[in-house]
Amino acid sequence: MTTTQVYTPEIELDHVSMRYQTEKSEVLALEEVTVDIRKGEFVSLLGPSGCGKTTLLRIMADLIQPTNGEIKIAGGTAKEARLAQKYGIVFQSPVLYDWRKIKKNILLPLEMMGVSKEEREKRVDSLLGLVGLSDFKEKYPWQLSGGMQQRVAIARALAIEPEILLMDEPFSALDEFSRERLNEELLSIWSKVNNTVVFVTHSIPEAIFLSDRVFVLSPHPGRLSAVVEIPLPRPRTKELRNSKEFYDLISVIRDCFEGV
Amino acid sequence: MRNSLLKNRVAPAAVWFVAILIGWQCLSWLFLEVLELPLAQSKLPYLHELTRTLLDYADVLLTEGAVTFSNAALGFLFGAIAGILLAILMSISKWVEQLTFPYAVASQMIPILGLAPIVYGIVHDDQISRILIAAYITFFPVSLNMLRGLRSAEPSAVELMYSYAAKPWVIYWKLRLPAALPGLFSGLKIAAPLAVTGAILVELMGATQGIGVIMLRNLYYGPSHNYMFWLTVITGAFLGIISYLLISLFERILTPWQPEFRKTGGED
Ligand SMILES: Nc1ncnc2c1ncn2[C@@H]1O[C@H](COP(=O)(O)OP(=O)(O)O)[C@@H](O)[C@H]1O
Ligand SMILES: [Mg+2]
Repeated sequence: MTTTQVYTPEIELDHVSMRYQTEKSEVLALEEVTVDIRKGEFVSLLGPSGCGKTTLLRIMADLIQPTNGEIKIAGGTAKEARLAQKYGIVFQSPVLYDWRKIKKNILLPLEMMGVSKEEREKRVDSLLGLVGLSDFKEKYPWQLSGGMQQRVAIARALAIEPEILLMDEPFSALDEFSRERLNEELLSIWSKVNNTVVFVTHSIPEAIFLSDRVFVLSPHPGRLSAVVEIPLPRPRTKELRNSKEFYDLISVIRDCFEGV
Repeated sequence: MRNSLLKNRVAPAAVWFVAILIGWQCLSWLFLEVLELPLAQSKLPYLHELTRTLLDYADVLLTEGAVTFSNAALGFLFGAIAGILLAILMSISKWVEQLTFPYAVASQMIPILGLAPIVYGIVHDDQISRILIAAYITFFPVSLNMLRGLRSAEPSAVELMYSYAAKPWVIYWKLRLPAALPGLFSGLKIAAPLAVTGAILVELMGATQGIGVIMLRNLYYGPSHNYMFWLTVITGAFLGIISYLLISLFERILTPWQPEFRKTGGED
């Protein structure tokens, strides 16, 4: 990917700052963050906890408004994008509705969009298959392990084939094995849907494996300290994790953190 | 599965029930034959005497009990609907809450014993006053628990709805109301037996039909009607228990996801 390539901007943040006001103190969670995310790009927000990753994601999702700065989504405001249901969001916790069976949880966003019942029924099986939970269709959330619940949340976010997929450390509660497998699955899903993905993580290998670009954030106050291009070819397979290029990129990003 | 239910739930209850009956009978014998208390059978009658009277008067108890129960149920229904509606209004608007909540609380300070004759004095109909009192008693616990339930939806769950650009009424329908059901049911379970008691209370103050009416009458006739009096009291308690069990049954059917209904042990 060269810099001269023409691309459509999907998410543009211009000098965005976020200040949380609490009763006693004030936290500057983000300071002057400027990013440009292209349509169809997979980017990661990488940094230690408390550096404002979740805050940045929530600003993009129009769940909170920044104290300063401009944000544009697909040329319009974030609110317009939300009202047009352009987002699929995976929160840090699964946020499943206890009273809905797995199937109904996954179909919730389709219900919200007014997709017909037959159409919903048609989609549910492929969605469940996507995250490997076909046998759990009629179960309640509490009958599933934490990792399975998170996969349900991913299927739910993918249900509407969102233009923008925002994921907040979706795999951080999983063991290393499931996490790597889900990374690969996420990429294969993404290669089909080809939407814009913003993926929050504090794992360097995960960020590299998944992303076109990695946005490195540093804490106190949360700032964008580096943007690292990941020129690894796609489709990416698990062998890639053992390649020299992969290790080189890990040290490049490590150095970004040393620098601050 | 069936076996374990029998072992864990039914068997202990049955053992308790039999133990209480035996204890009752012994105590009754003690009062009458050993301590030779005056009016011993009024204090605790023999179960076999009660059973005999029950066999003779089952139809009376049944019809009068049905009158009480249906009036209580009707009042309960109205009270529950009013309570649910007020809770929804209060959850939508802080203003409504501030305006009505203090009065709802204050209304609970009025003794039912005093309120019942007042209501009767106004409507002059024992059926309507029974329904009104039952509704009045039901209203508050239902409203309070429902309101708490409506507020129990987690912020992240609301955010999810927000991210779908959900309209406010959709958020109520798909999130807040289902999340409120456990709270609603605890309110209903508190209110149901109280509604029955309230209806009986109104009947004690003067009515033409109902379990409270024959209760009062048999109390009035004195010791000769002692067994019948006891049976009316037991019937009243029984109606309360039935109302509670009915609500519990609905709860189980409508909210099978609640933690207390989750089967423990392995999957499937
Ligand atoms: N609602 C809030 N009110 C006050 N402070 C907050 C709030 N949310 C986050 N913060 C603070 O902002 C900073 C960044 O938080 P967050 O965006 O959650 O970081 P991360 O997701 O990278 O761990 C932290 O110092 C956190 O304590
Ligand atoms: Mg976070």
